[in-house]
Amino acid sequence: MKPAVKKKRPFQRRKVCVFCADSGMKIEYKDVKTLNHFITERGKILPRRISGTCAKHQRDLTTAIKRARNIALMPFSIVAQ
Amino acid sequence: MKRYETIFITHPELSEADQTELEGKLRSIMAGLKGDILHLEDWGTKKLAYQIRKNTRGRFFLLDYLAVPDLVRELERTLRLNDRVLKFQTVRVSDWVSPQTAETLKEAAPTERVTKVSERSLSPEEHVREESADSAGEEEK
Repeated sequence: MKPAVKKKRPFQRRKVCVFCADSGMKIEYKDVKTLNHFITERGKILPRRISGTCAKHQRDLTTAIKRARNIALMPFSIVAQ
Repeated sequence: MKRYETIFITHPELSEADQTELEGKLRSIMAGLKGDILHLEDWGTKKLAYQIRKNTRGRFFLLDYLAVPDLVRELERTLRLNDRVLKFQTVRVSDWVSPQTAETLKEAAPTERVTKVSERSLSPEEHVREESADSAGEEEK
């Protein structure tokens, strides 16, 4: 039998931080519409490796999402149906 | 002075009298401790992302103001004591506002006593699925 061949990950284009690419975009905890792009369907914050945001903006994003959660604009968790 | 903004959520069925009373209290604190309200926004009744004291809806207000830290403490104390207020959150917008900037900000502030904001879609509704009791309890794999 042949040894299992390691599956090669298909090459992916390096993602660019959307907030760096578009300087008009601001991270604001009141702007739920934008923040909604950065959470999973369970309501968790998307990791950088998925969303491609840079470290700086990921930090701001995290703060914003947490603030929005605290004031009930965003959920802490979404229960699967 | 620093610039802060406080969002407070009140009971969805806030009576006109309660609203005026609360607003009057906030304004008297501002007057007493030399703060300046830049604007007070009324976002109307919105669906909450999670229940607060058994409420699924709440009325949102946003207060944007210039103040000293002591004022914020007093303001939050007042909000905490008011049983119509479900939750509040204060965020420091800027660390230091010079007197000149304060003047320009005050001039730029809207003149209405309470600004109604409804067209701004800040609703969490897209992500708050209807809390139907008949969920099958299926865990996603």
